[in-house]
Formats: sequence, structure tokens, C-alpha cells
Amino acid sequence: MRRYTALVALAVVFVAPLLWALGTSFKSKSEATRVPPTPWPAEPAADAYGRLFEGTTQTPVLRWFLNSLIAATGHMLLVLAVSSLAAYALARLEFRGKRLMFGVIVGTLLVPGFVFLIPQFLIIDQLGWLDSLTALIVPGAAGAFGVFFLRQFFLGLPRELDEAALMEGANHWHIFLRVTLPLSKPALATLAVLSFMSNWNDFIWPVFVIFSPDYFTLPPGLSILQGAYTIDYPVIMAGAVLASVPVLILFALTQRYVIEGISRSGLKG
Amino acid sequence: MSLDGLTRRRALGLGLGALVLTGCGGGGGPRQAAQQQTGAQATAAPTSYTGPAVSLAFWNGFTGGDGPFMKRLVEQFNGEHPNIKVAMNVYQWSDYYTKVPAAVTAGQGPDIGIMHVDSVATNAARQVVLPLDDVAKALSLTEADFSPPVWQAGVYKGARYSIPLDVHPLGMFYNKTVMEKAGLDPDNPPKNGEEYLAALEKLKKAGIQGHWATPFPFTGSMQFGTLLHQNGGRLFADDASVSRFAEEPGVQALTWLVDLINKGYSPKNVGQDADFIALQNGKAAFNWNGIWSINTLREVKGLEWGVAPLPQIGTQPSAWAGSHQFVVFRQRKPDQNKLAAAKVFINWISGHSIEWAKAGQVPARRAIRESAEFKALKEQAAIGSQIDYLYFLPSVAGIGDASAVVDQAVNAAVLLKKSPKDALTEAAAKADKILEQNRKKYGA
Amino acid sequence: MATLTVTTARKAGSGALTWSGRATPYLFMAPYLVLFGVFVLAPAVFGIWVSLHDWDYMLEGKPFVGLENYSALFDPASAVYDDFWMSMRATGIFTLFSVPFLVVLPLGVALLLNRRFRGRTFFRGLFFAPYVLGVAVVCLMWRLLLDPNLGLVDWLLGTDIAWTTSLPWAWVALVGVTVWWTLGFNGVIYLAGMQDIPRELYDAAKVDGAGRWAEFRHVTLPGLRPVALFVVTTTILASANMFGQSYLLTKGAPGGETRTAIVYMLDMGLNQYKMGSASAMSYVLTLALIVISLLNFRLFRGRS
Repeated sequence: MRRYTALVALAVVFVAPLLWALGTSFKSKSEATRVPPTPWPAEPAADAYGRLFEGTTQTPVLRWFLNSLIAATGHMLLVLAVSSLAAYALARLEFRGKRLMFGVIVGTLLVPGFVFLIPQFLIIDQLGWLDSLTALIVPGAAGAFGVFFLRQFFLGLPRELDEAALMEGANHWHIFLRVTLPLSKPALATLAVLSFMSNWNDFIWPVFVIFSPDYFTLPPGLSILQGAYTIDYPVIMAGAVLASVPVLILFALTQRYVIEGISRSGLKG
Repeated sequence: MSLDGLTRRRALGLGLGALVLTGCGGGGGPRQAAQQQTGAQATAAPTSYTGPAVSLAFWNGFTGGDGPFMKRLVEQFNGEHPNIKVAMNVYQWSDYYTKVPAAVTAGQGPDIGIMHVDSVATNAARQVVLPLDDVAKALSLTEADFSPPVWQAGVYKGARYSIPLDVHPLGMFYNKTVMEKAGLDPDNPPKNGEEYLAALEKLKKAGIQGHWATPFPFTGSMQFGTLLHQNGGRLFADDASVSRFAEEPGVQALTWLVDLINKGYSPKNVGQDADFIALQNGKAAFNWNGIWSINTLREVKGLEWGVAPLPQIGTQPSAWAGSHQFVVFRQRKPDQNKLAAAKVFINWISGHSIEWAKAGQVPARRAIRESAEFKALKEQAAIGSQIDYLYFLPSVAGIGDASAVVDQAVNAAVLLKKSPKDALTEAAAKADKILEQNRKKYGA
Repeated sequence: MATLTVTTARKAGSGALTWSGRATPYLFMAPYLVLFGVFVLAPAVFGIWVSLHDWDYMLEGKPFVGLENYSALFDPASAVYDDFWMSMRATGIFTLFSVPFLVVLPLGVALLLNRRFRGRTFFRGLFFAPYVLGVAVVCLMWRLLLDPNLGLVDWLLGTDIAWTTSLPWAWVALVGVTVWWTLGFNGVIYLAGMQDIPRELYDAAKVDGAGRWAEFRHVTLPGLRPVALFVVTTTILASANMFGQSYLLTKGAPGGETRTAIVYMLDMGLNQYKMGSASAMSYVLTLALIVISLLNFRLFRGRS
């Protein structure tokens, strides 16, 4: 019971601003900036959503939504694939240059991201990927975050199962697929959400590499709907609501894997 | 609001538009400005394009409120010119200024676009845009067709790089209900410093802080620049060799703004946009803001408002203004047909800019500005009457870098962290170093 | 007791894994290394080259200036000295005050949420939800809520605090909003880490008669060590790279005191197009972060 009290109290603090934001998406522009503020819409209206989905050739919001979905999913899968392979080697295998490699990879996390922007742009241009979703999917997967993340988790996994498998003559590829990955569901699920989101909310990179509105993702796209001079709060919040839905769904789905993690599977046997 | 400000003026170019606005907002804007076609055709030399069919990519930052007006103009142009097809792409301004150079580098740049006047020199120096002297000549456009400061603002190092579309000055917006409450005549807003302060005093007695002094560039820095010019000062020497904003006129200007707070005419610590929000909510009587606010205020239900030229606080009239200007982008393979078509397009839009005025702008073209149709746009015309004493930054590459330090000084002073004189003096030393750096970078 | 069990469970047999082919590790690394080489390592090295030039990708002339971009950062008479160090100070302050909250609070929330009770997925989603929003939305909404003269927060609290335009309140707002926004991020990482801790250890601790606190100290904390190292490292980095909040919520007010290093570098590089100088600043910041990270790694290793 005490736990519930603490949780509920904390939850209220966390949720109140979100509810306010949701409420704002149902306000008129002038009510959004009314003084004193209205905590909840006094005259609820859905026209912000109307403006959002007006969908002209200039602002194909559903198309952007789809682009975002493709880019974020592609990015997420690529991150999971390459990072888990590399992390396995860094956590489980011994090889020449491992420490140096790990040092350099993690070291690049320390370099502020924007240093990479212009060079990456020039490289993407050379590769002929400008103005395509490929430019949104691939370069981000080179980041060190996923590798570092999974390596830390793999380090924490007990090795007994690996060894048992090795004795049975399995090779590392098998161990990776049959032992490590299944044991790492919580970590993989978490990384999936986080990498999906980082791509989903990215707003700087698309500005550099995407020129046609047809290939926009939601963040740069929604900014077009915004007026140039005044902040249209209801529409910003409506856009945020729209953009939140897929991530929350993904979160709900992946959390199931987190919950039925190793504590209930694997090791015990 | 801040976007436009931060966007083009310094703040990070970088996609921050998107950052700022992961939201959206349809063209809910000024739809009412109906479709009536304009009569006021400009008088420039007739031009037409007779070559093979071409398509022109036209990029700009006319989102939200502006977008629908320009879109209608482009559609009308396409209808009247079967062999020219203009395709318009719109981006948030800050994104646009980041994206365009990148696209030009990659050989995927647009043919024509719009730039704010204080970005033209920098983009000329960085070879994003092309000189347009021959376009001006072909269209026989001269200073007389516009107004001298607007026309001259598009010249960098002796060559013309842009053709003005509009100017968008500050005006004084006022809340009539609030004025009445304090016993002021809402049809006769203050015109000079004395009247202004007297009005603020009356408002104060009625418990209203009449003019919220905002410490942020939008529009605090613009108010500061305006007052400084009204005091006979300049932000920078005309050739931008040194900064001049810390001289006496500047100190007086900033002191005047800070005194609004000290005398209780403005609250302390005003937040971003709070001044404009306060006006809309009857918390303030006056707000010096851009002409683009017209359509925003029209949408506020039940708000009784008016707009007038800025009061003359100093010894001479002056007002900050921006200006949208046409530019033509550098291409890997220049196409003479496209260039010829671009001329026709620029001239045609400029000639039809009365439609554009309805978006909340003052047409740059004199003939249109002086037409009866423009005068009928009461609010726009009121602000437009300031045309002869608008000021622009010197046309020097990287000038925005130096004026960004002014923003910081205004911020520190209006938030009462530094005295106006100290803030400006420190900023001037910094600005001078930046100007010197830029001379080295772009070649003096 | 429990700690010992963990260590043995983990350490047993390390090194017992044999190589199955010399190339195997490199094959595992290869896909990532290709991407890493092209999109991270090459640009990072290129960035160093850029920092030695007066570099603007649009200009043909990119004169070599040696270490000038670096020496300017340490020369009080240069155009960048004051602003750069003011922004580094801002980043330092923010990091110092945000990291403890961002490391400890999510751990607490994760502990609460790791228990079995009805509706826990719902609660997890709830704490994670703010993180789903983009930084722009977060900052714009809080800017309105925290407005010094018109905001809902002051109105509700009956206070008159300039949350976004005065010190130290601007720091409170920046840290508070960041904690609200990103708590769920570290929270889910901790939660995932907790699933890795074998249930047997808890059972063993119970048998030993350990209370909640002892269980936490001797089972949960040690079990979370690799994950905690990750959380601490990435939180420090994220805080040191903070820019959206500073740019949108306070816009550096008052007088640039809350403008962080990254905001300043972005302005320098992408707005003023002085990419050489901006890169030099980035590498100075990187150097500072290397020192902090090494200390951090050592700390974690030292305690194991």
C-alpha cells in the first residue's frame, strides 16, 4: 500500500503536464495562451487536429508519418543487428586489439555529435544517398551507444550456459543466436525502443539530407505546418500526440519482453 | 515570433526550426483575405518567356500564415504561364537557411528562393546565391521602383544579389480595451516619447503595466535598434568596420527600455513571447511587434486592437524592418532558359504583391504600395507609412554574428543583470572582434 | 554472502571460452566496424583536420591555421574566450546538478516498478511517457507553464518566481524539466538490468535473512554494476551535450549564463559558419569528458 501511495504521488507529478499538453491540443489558439491559464480546455475544439490532417501536397502528414515509421524501424533493426554482433565479440571473445577497439568506439561517444554533421553530409552526398530514407536509416546505426549498451548487458549475463553449449560443440554463432540473444530480451527490447525513438525524434539530420517534402519525417515536416511568427500551441501538441502514439505502442509491446526477462527463464534450468 | 528571429538571425540554423516546432499549424491563418485578383500591376518593363517549357523549383520559408498567400500566387502564375511551371517547397525558415547551402553544394539546390535581407550578403559571400544585376536590368527595375534603403540592402560588394519582395517593419500594436480602462483615447495612441510615457503613467495608475519590456531578440533587440536609430545612432558603422551601438544613442536607448521596468511600466523578467501574450490578454496596452502580427491578432476572439506607426521616442523617426527578397541560386550547370523564366516569375510576383500584402506584409514595390488597394488594407498601410525611415543592417557578410552579441547585451540589461552601459560596452568589444574575424574570413 | 555469490557466478569460467576460429571475433565486429569507420571514425578524424583550418564547407579557401583555433580558446583577448568559457561553465553547472538526480531517481523508480503488482506496465509506461516527446514540445510546453509572469506553475503555487529568466531558478527549471523528461530513459535501462540479476541471488539473500536494504546493497547494486556504469557514463555525456533545453526554454537568459557549450558550438559552426573554431571547441570539450569518463570507469572498476 505504501508503495502505491509513493507511486501514485509521483505519477501525478509526471502525468499532470502531459494531460495539460493533451488538453492544449483541444484548445483554440487564443485559449492556449489565455491568462490566467486554463488547466483544461474551457471550450474544447478539435480544429488543431483538423489543421494537422488538412494534408495538402505541401504537408502530407500521413506520408511523413509513414516515412518516420520506415526510417525509425529500419534504423532500429540495423542497430540491433550490428550492435549485438559487435557487443558479443567485445563482451565474450578475446582478440587482438579488443581493448583498443572498445576504447575508440566508446571514445567517440565523447565527441559532440555535431562534429560529425558536415563530414557525414559530404559522405552521404558521395554515396548518392541524399534526399532518400537510406540517409536517415544507415549513418545513425554507426553510433557507439548500442554497442556500449549491449556489451554492458552481455557482461552481466552468466557464462555457464555459454560454456555448456561450447562443450556440446556449438560455435560462437550458435551461442550468440541460441543463448545470448534469448537471454538478452530485456536489453534488446530496451535498445529497440531507445533506438527507434532517437531516430523518430531526430530533427537536425533530416534537415541536412532531405530536400523533398515527400521524404520528410515527422519532426521536420510538422515544423512546416507551424506558422512562421507565432507558436501555434494547439497544433504543436496535436502533432506531439500523433507522434507519441507509435512509440507508446512499441513501448507497451516491448515491455512484455522486459518483464519476462531472465529471472523467469533461462538460468534456472 | 522567436522562430523567425532565432531562425534566420543567428541562433542555430541547424534544424532548430524543427526543434522548435515539432508541432504544426495549418494554414488556419488568414484565409479571409479572399481571392480577389489585384488590379495594381507594376509598371516595370513587360517581360515574357517564350523558350521551351521549363520548371522552376522555388523554395522559401513561408509556412503557416504566409504560405497559403504565396501558394495562391504561384498557382495563378502557373495558370497564366503555360510554359513555366513553378513548384514551391516550403520549410521552416531556420531549416531553410541550413538546407539551401547544403542542397546547393550537392547540386540539388532550387532555382529561385526568398531570403531575408540580412542573410543576403552572407549567402552571396558563401556563393549560395548569384548576382542579379542583369535581372534587375532586364526588368528595368531601379531604386525608384522600391525605396532606397530596401533596394540598396540587396547589394553586396557592388553587385546586386536580391530583388525585394516586401518589407516587414515593427509597428505599435495596442489593446483598445485596456487603453479605455485607463482613460486613454483608443483612437489616438501616443505618437512621441512624452505622450508615450504619459500614457504608461496613466496605465500604471490604473494598475496596468503598459509596455512589457522583453529581454529576447524577438522583439526586444528590434526595439533597442529602433530606439537607437531614433536617437541618431547606428548599430554598426556603414561599412561595418566597427560597432557603434555602445555609443551614447545606444546607451540612451537601452536605458529607456530598462527604465520601463524601473518605473513600473513593465514587469521584471519577462519571458519569451510573454509581451505579445500579455497584449492579447489585456495585461499590457502596447506591444511593438512585427507587421506579421496582424493576422494573428485578427484571430483572437473578442480582442479590440489597433496598430499605429511606432511612436517617435528619440529625435527622429525610425523603425526596425526585415525584408523578404528574391534570390537565384548557384547551379552546377546554369540553364539560360530557367534564368529567363525566373526573371519573368520574379517580376510577375513582385507586380502582384498586393495579394502578398494581405499576408501581413508591406509590398516593396512602390507602385503597389501607393495603390488605393494597399491603402485599403488599413493595418498594413499604417505600418507601411514608416517606409522612408526603416533601417537595415549593413550589407556585410556575417553581420548577423556581430548583431547576435547585441541580443545578449539587451538580454543582460533588460533582465537587470548589467547596467545598459556596461552591457553594451562589453558587447561592442566582442562585436568588433567578430567583425574583424569576418573580414578575414570573407575578405574585406 | 550474497556479494560473493555474484562474483563467483560471474567470474567462474571466464577465459574458459575457447576460440573457434581466429577470424570469428572480427567477423562479429565487421558489420559494425564498416559503419563505424565510414560514419563515425572518418568524420571524427576529419573534424580534427577541420579544427586546424579556418573552415567553411561553402568557401573554396579553407586556410590552414595550425592550432590557432585552439589557442584562441585560451586567449582572453580573443573573440571567443569569454563566451566559450561561460558556456563551458553553464554545461558544467548543468551536468553537476542534473547527473545525480538522473542517476538516482530513475533507480528509485525502477526499484518501485520492478516489484510485482497490478498495473505495473501501466506505471512503467507512465514514467516513460514524457521521454516520448521531442525536446521542442517539452520545452515549448514548459516555457508556457513556467512563464515568469503568466505561467500556470506560478499561478498554482501562488509564487512569483522567474523560472526561465533569472538565476538560480533557470537552473532549477532546466534540471527539473530534464529530469521530468528523461527519467524514464534511465528507468527502463535499470529495469532491463534488474531482469539480468538471477532470481537465485535474491532467494539466497532471503535465506540469509537479509532485509530489503541489505538485499538492495548486496544483490541489486552489485548485479547492476555493468548497467550502472553505462547509465552513469551516458548520463554524464547526455548532460554535457545538453542544448535543446538551454536553447528553447531559457534561450541562454540571463545574458547568456545558461547558454551551454553545445549551443554555443552549434551557433559558431552552423550559424556563423566557423566550423574550424567550433570543431576545436568540441575537441576541448571532448578532452574534458575523457578525463571525467576515465575517472568514472576507474571508480566503477575500483569498487568491484
